[in-house]
Amino acid sequence: MAETPTAQQMLDQEMIARIGRRDQSAFSALYDRLSGPLYSLAMKMLGDPAEAQDALQDVFLQIWSRAGSYDPDQSSVFSWTVLLTRSRVIDRLRARGRRSRVVVASTEDTPTAAADASTVESAADTAEKNDEAARVRYVLTNLPPEQREAIEMAFFEHLSHHEIAARLGQPLGTVKARIRRGLLKLRQRLRTL
Amino acid sequence: MISEEQQDQAALYALGLLAANEDAAFESELTANAELRDLVRELREAAGNLALTAPSLPPPASLKHRIMREIAMKTEERTVVPLRRPAVGWVPWAIAAALAVFCGLLAVDRVRLEHQLADIRAVDPLMQTTFYTLAPSAPAPADAKATVVWQPGRQSGVIRISNLPAAQPGKDYQLWAVDAEHKDPISAGIIRVDQNGVAQVRFKPVEKAEHVKAFAISLEREGGVPKKEGPILLVGTT
Repeated sequence: MAETPTAQQMLDQEMIARIGRRDQSAFSALYDRLSGPLYSLAMKMLGDPAEAQDALQDVFLQIWSRAGSYDPDQSSVFSWTVLLTRSRVIDRLRARGRRSRVVVASTEDTPTAAADASTVESAADTAEKNDEAARVRYVLTNLPPEQREAIEMAFFEHLSHHEIAARLGQPLGTVKARIRRGLLKLRQRLRTL
Repeated sequence: MISEEQQDQAALYALGLLAANEDAAFESELTANAELRDLVRELREAAGNLALTAPSLPPPASLKHRIMREIAMKTEERTVVPLRRPAVGWVPWAIAAALAVFCGLLAVDRVRLEHQLADIRAVDPLMQTTFYTLAPSAPAPADAKATVVWQPGRQSGVIRISNLPAAQPGKDYQLWAVDAEHKDPISAGIIRVDQNGVAQVRFKPVEKAEHVKAFAISLEREGGVPKKEGPILLVGTT
């Protein structure tokens, strides 16, 4: 059974509904809430500020034009926008054949990532958002390393399970199982933590 | 009960890793399995949260201005374009009425009718909106195109360009209004397309252009030129 939406998710849904009615103030508010994490994601995947900004612009224009077709039964607003962002970023990676320049950074082996997070955090980022990020980071860090690695390669580098298997020199079935187990654990622990 | 294989598929689907054919097959399975749908939604939420683990970097403030401006333009465009319909519908009736008057009542003064039409146009600025479709000419790509919405009363317009690659370094695209009362085309400013070959900008010619026959885009030196020098890439009339 699907989980009940949180207060923040309901607020996001309300904003999307207003954007669907061409409410620019709701759009501005949603931008303020989501642009930080979505830009950070685009930067991590693309490693280029100009490209990340262009991708983010595409995403928000898409949010503006497609807000009316958002389906809360499919995903939360945040997950929907993450999906749109990954999709736009992947288009750019494909178009430019720049996968080699992707910033590969696992949570475990990038102490600079944590430092970046604490030093360049925007003033607009709320404490709540930081708490949520810290919670997800904690859960991810505590997954078995091989599961975390497979999930991060899939999510941030958009490598297929075939490509991950080839890169790690592991059988395809093993990689699929790592992704499945890792994601199920992530879901379970985020629910209970 | 969801099998291990279905869970595998659900995890890959949530991460967008299924191939197109697998994707379609799994989606048809989803329509018939509510439990599997719930699992996919939860896995998608979990995957979406991974975005929060990226090092936090705020986008520049200028980006929001850029996006909000674009949104405002889109909104404006949506309000302008549909309003042409009544204008289009009205014109034939006006012409028909005028012709009927000419045919049926030879004594009617044509000059007076033209004055009346001018009065109506002055009252309704939408009557003055004109659309120009610009087609490519070599060396522009064959699929490059542009549309201009021009309001002579306001001496301003909006141009939307697509499929035109960015100008090479040291060059810029420049928009020109070809006016019947001016010997040379009138500059309407520099236009820069984005990485997708798209631009949508509001423009205003540097001189008054009351009888615009056509709009054209040429490739000029960076920063633009006062008088057209470079090759025409797109040109079009109403």
